[in-house]
Order: sequence, then structure tokens, then C-alpha cells
Amino acid sequence: MRPRLTGYAFITPAMLLLITFGVLPIAVAMIVSLTDMNLAGLGDWSRIRFIGTDNYAALFADRAFWQAMGNTALFAIVGVPSVVGLSLLIALGLNSSQSRFFRALRSFYFVPAITAIVAVALVWGYLFNTQFGLFNHLLSLVGLPPVPWLSDPVVVKFSVVWVAVWRGIGLNVIILLAALQGVPREYLEAASIDGASRLRQTVSIVLPLLRFALFFVTITTIIAWLQFFDEPFVLTKGGPLGASTSISLFLYQKGFSASQFGYASAGSVVLFVVIAVITVVQLRARRADVDY
Amino acid sequence: MKSTRITAPALLAVGALVLAGCTTTPTAEESAAPGDLTVWIMGDSSANFDALVAPFEEETGIAVETVAVPWDAIDQKFTTAVASGDGPDIIQIGVSKLRTFADSGALLELDADTLADHPHLAAENFIDGVAGDATAIGGSIVSLPWVSDTRVLFTRTDILSEAGIDAPPATWDELRADAKTLAGRGDGQYGYYIPQWDSALPVVMTWDQGGEIVDADGMIDFDTPEFQRAVDLYTGLYADGSVPTNSDFDQTQGFVSGVAPMLVSGPYLAGAIADAAPELDGKWTVTTLPTGAAGTSLLAGSNLGVWGSSDNTDGALDLLDFLSTPETQVAWFESDGQLPTVKDALTDPALAADPMVEVYTQQLADARLLPLVPNWDGETGKALLDALNSIVLTGADRDQTLDALFQTTSGTSVN
Repeated sequence: MRPRLTGYAFITPAMLLLITFGVLPIAVAMIVSLTDMNLAGLGDWSRIRFIGTDNYAALFADRAFWQAMGNTALFAIVGVPSVVGLSLLIALGLNSSQSRFFRALRSFYFVPAITAIVAVALVWGYLFNTQFGLFNHLLSLVGLPPVPWLSDPVVVKFSVVWVAVWRGIGLNVIILLAALQGVPREYLEAASIDGASRLRQTVSIVLPLLRFALFFVTITTIIAWLQFFDEPFVLTKGGPLGASTSISLFLYQKGFSASQFGYASAGSVVLFVVIAVITVVQLRARRADVDY
Repeated sequence: MKSTRITAPALLAVGALVLAGCTTTPTAEESAAPGDLTVWIMGDSSANFDALVAPFEEETGIAVETVAVPWDAIDQKFTTAVASGDGPDIIQIGVSKLRTFADSGALLELDADTLADHPHLAAENFIDGVAGDATAIGGSIVSLPWVSDTRVLFTRTDILSEAGIDAPPATWDELRADAKTLAGRGDGQYGYYIPQWDSALPVVMTWDQGGEIVDADGMIDFDTPEFQRAVDLYTGLYADGSVPTNSDFDQTQGFVSGVAPMLVSGPYLAGAIADAAPELDGKWTVTTLPTGAAGTSLLAGSNLGVWGSSDNTDGALDLLDFLSTPETQVAWFESDGQLPTVKDALTDPALAADPMVEVYTQQLADARLLPLVPNWDGETGKALLDALNSIVLTGADRDQTLDALFQTTSGTSVN
């Protein structure tokens, strides 16, 4: 009994934090999503009415909601493989040497992850600018017409994904790099004595051993992309015409710009369910895995 | 993108609101000495406002703490303040947000009794468009005019005359023709600039066609022939190739470089041009809006309200009274470039001597507020912009799009 209690004592602080900032808000959002709470209701609680599932009905009939869902799906489909793939490639490259130069390169890849989003927005906003941006200037040097990076409803989706990928790989590279350095040298040495090439070693030994790290990176990356918010918020405010509005940004607009807390909460509950389902499916798929 | 987040930002935010509601931690506002006032001023800098209220602080011994709240952050900041009941003493309110803020019930009602001892706060001192009942919400007044802002026409006279246009266009039809001429200067050159985020411009165009967007019952109604003509004008400018279609077009830069030598904007643009390109002095001018059936412009700007649960409402009213004296209003114009709302300040020689101010004053006399619907920015105005932008930018079917706009906005009441 005693050792068990010790364990609980250790996790209590974390549990309290998780309940306060993780579980409670979800519960509150679920309750709020059944009301018509808005700014007036917030000031005077007697003005909040219980409206059942009306918010959900309205949400599923809202074209802007489906547009945001569609955008988010596209962002995740393009973004997740890009981030995971690029992070892995870069981590493999960075792992090939321990020289000072490669260590410096590591921080180079990590810098975007810790740069303030406002600075990111300013710099990329200028790079993308149609009138005087660097990208269009470079295109003009090779005789190509200017691209409306942030103004075209299709191009803008890829522009914000591009920035998010650039920003997202840093952290994942560090995680994968740490995992790579945990791969036992003996395996690789044994393989090379047997005559296996670098590529063969990577495919047959390193990648299988990275499985857990890759799984972790994939799951957190998927969740992050489903909650994609910062880049479209600061670069385009979700425009033009909602073409870069992610589901999180849609919720923000409904909750804070339009003060429809009930409606936004209904949306956040839907998003929560989607993320939960996707994560559970992945965890199930992982059960079949063999640990080395 | 942060990869470690567990819940959606909105989810967290709603939770944070509720948590904020239960918290008892003293904040900066509360920990100030009793009687001191906190003022939320919109924009990036509070330095000018600090200087403005210095005489008040000296006279009354009340310390005034100004907090600059960026325009983008005001919704969020106000929402958390309402939820926690922990607001400033005085808050600046953009008039397009007035209805939303008033509906929250957080602001003190400024009825005749409340204002009795403060002669400068009487409605008749302020310009008629925003004074007293004009900005009353549901019959009660919760804010006082602070700065006014009206839209006028900016033109690059040097570029116009090069293109053979002697004077700024006097009517919207002339403007459209002139814009087309100017856009013909070459590739990447335009005649006019329509900000894709400006929901007021189509409304102003409708007014100028002699129309209204609110019907006799006080409901939003875009389904009028005048609105159709305004849409013709709006979409026509795009169809002529007279306006840039990229959403990241910089209006100041475009005006200074001459790429878009005509546009409708507020007095702040004059300041931005003077700062960015002093060498252009004398090569551009402001005039009252082009006319159709009318030449009505937008009356924007902002008001000041007193937080209902402030523990020093008397001090807050004293400060409002000080801010509404003609001298203070003139001083604010001189330091911050914002047009006064007090009639006596507008006729003050310090302002009247400036030929540009003369244009602004003239336009202010024919300027109106946007309808005080709940949440213009987030709903009605957004629906209007989305409809027009989807027609001109993505080639959406005009009739279908407008029908959808009529339907989504028709149930919105001004009262």
C-alpha cells in the first residue's frame, strides 16, 4: 500500500494542474456549449439561456465551419508528413557528425521554434508581400510573374503551411536527434562488419529503433496541426475569404471577435472529439508494435 | 505552431475566462492607491496621453495610469475584463464596438443626473453625429464622444495632372472614370485603392447613392436599388482593373509610390504620409468625398466610457470632464493628430488655420455612424465584405452572393 501512495503523491501536483487547466476547461466548454452565452451573459449570468444542442445544429449548418474543417484537414495532410519527413532527414544529417560545425547547425534549425510569432509574422509578411516582397523579387529576376502569396485563396494555404513547417521542424529535429543518439553503436558496427551499406543500416536498424520517437513526434505533430492557429492568425487573419482559416482560428473568431462563447465552445468540443478520436486510433494501432 | 499544446486555444480561453472569474489575486489595477484611475487607451503608445492628463493629475492629485491596448487585442482584453469584473476605470471604445460593449452591461450609464455636475459633458457640446442619443444604446447612454474620425478623399495631384486630370473627382462616376485612366498608366499601376478589410466603404457608397442600409423598422436591409448601384460601383472598380487585388497591399506605400494615387481614408493617413514621405508635401491633397445623390461620409472615431464597477466613478467623471474641455481636445489634436469631438475645439483657431482640418470639419458636418447593430465587425460588416470580396476576387455569382447576404443580415435589428 505504501509504495503506491508514494506514487500518487508524486503525480498529484501534475494531476491538479492537468485537472485545473486541462479537464476543467473541457468540462466548462461542454456546459457552455449548451447555452447562448455571449458578452452580455458574461457580464450578467442571469442573461444566459440553456438552449440544448442548438449550437451544434447551427455549427453543422455553418459553411464557414466546414470551410475551416476542410482547411484544417488540408493543413494536416500537407503539414504532418512534411514536418515529420523533413525533421527525420535533417536529424539523420545532423547525426552524421559531432563536429562543432554540426552542433552550430543544430541551433540553426532550432531557432525558428523559439522565435516569437510576431517577429515571424513580420519577417515572413515582408518576404511574402506581393508589392515589395523578396520572393516576388527573386521570381522577377528569373522572369517569372509575381505570385499573390497571401492573397490567392489557394496559394495562401500553402504559404501558411510553409511557414508553419519551417517553424515546426526545430523541436522535432531535437527529439529525433536525441533518439538517434540512443541507437547502440554496436548494432551499426556489427552491420558494417557484415558489409551493410550506410543506407541499409539506416533503413534496417536505425529507423526501426526510432519507431517510438517517430510515433511520439507524429502524434504530437498531428495534434499540433489540428490546432493550427498562430501562422494564419498573424499572417492573414484567416483571409482572404476564410481560405486560410483553421478550425482553431474559426473558434477564436467566434469566441473573441464575435463574443459567441456558446457557439465557440460547441466548436471546441467538436474539435476535442476529433483530436481524441484520431489519437485513440493511433494508440490502438501502436499496440501491435514490438519493442526491441 | 507549438507542438506541445493539449487543448485548442479557444477551449483554454473559455476555461481561462471562468477561472479568471473566480480568481481573487490582486492585479495591477487593484493594487494602485485608492482613488487612482486606470485608463485603457487604444493604440500602441500611451506616452502622449500621459502628457495630456498631466495637468489633471497635478490639479486633482489623482494619479492616472494609462494602459495602451493594441486595436487587435481589445476584444479579448475587454472580454476578460467583463468576465473577471476587473476592468479599468475609463475605457476607450471604438464606435463600431459600442453596441457590443454596452450590451455587456459593464459600463456606467451616463444619464443626465450622473453628468449634472460636469458642464463639459453636456450633449450639446459635442458634434451632433455622435452626441447624446446618437450613440445611445437601447435608450441609455454609456459613453461620451472622445475623438472623431471621418473619411475623406486623398489624391496625388501631381500624378492626376500628369494623366490630364485637373481636379480630384467630384462624383463617384468621375472617380471611377479617373481611376480607369490612372490604371492605364502601365502594368502594376492602379487608380484607386479599396482596402479589403474596410466594411464601411460599401456602406458609404450606398449612402452616397441616396440609400440606407437600415429600413423603417430598424432592421438591416441591403436589398435596395441604391445598394445595387453601390455594388455596381464597387465591383466596377475591380472590373476596370483600377484597384489592386492583393490583400497585403500597403495603402500608405501605394499612395507614396503613386501606384494607387487615390483612396478614401481617415485623417491618420495624412499623418502617415507626412511621416513616410515629407518630400511629397504639396503634391497631394484631401477633399470631401465624391458625391452621388449625396456626399455623406463615415463618422467613426471613438468614445470613452466609465466602468460600472469602478470604485472612483466621481474621479472618472472629473477626468472625462477635463478631457472634454476644448483646450484638452485641441492639445490632443496637436500631440496625437486626432480630431476633436467638441464643437468649440473644432472651431478653435489652432485647428481652423489648417486647410486640411477645414476639409475634415466640412466632411464631419456630413458624416454618419455605421448602424449600431450588435457586433458590426464580426457579423454584419464581415458578411458584407465577404460577399463583395468573393464577387470581385473569386468571381462568385453576383446575384446568388447578394441574395445570401440579404438573407443572413436581414434579421439584424439596430434597436
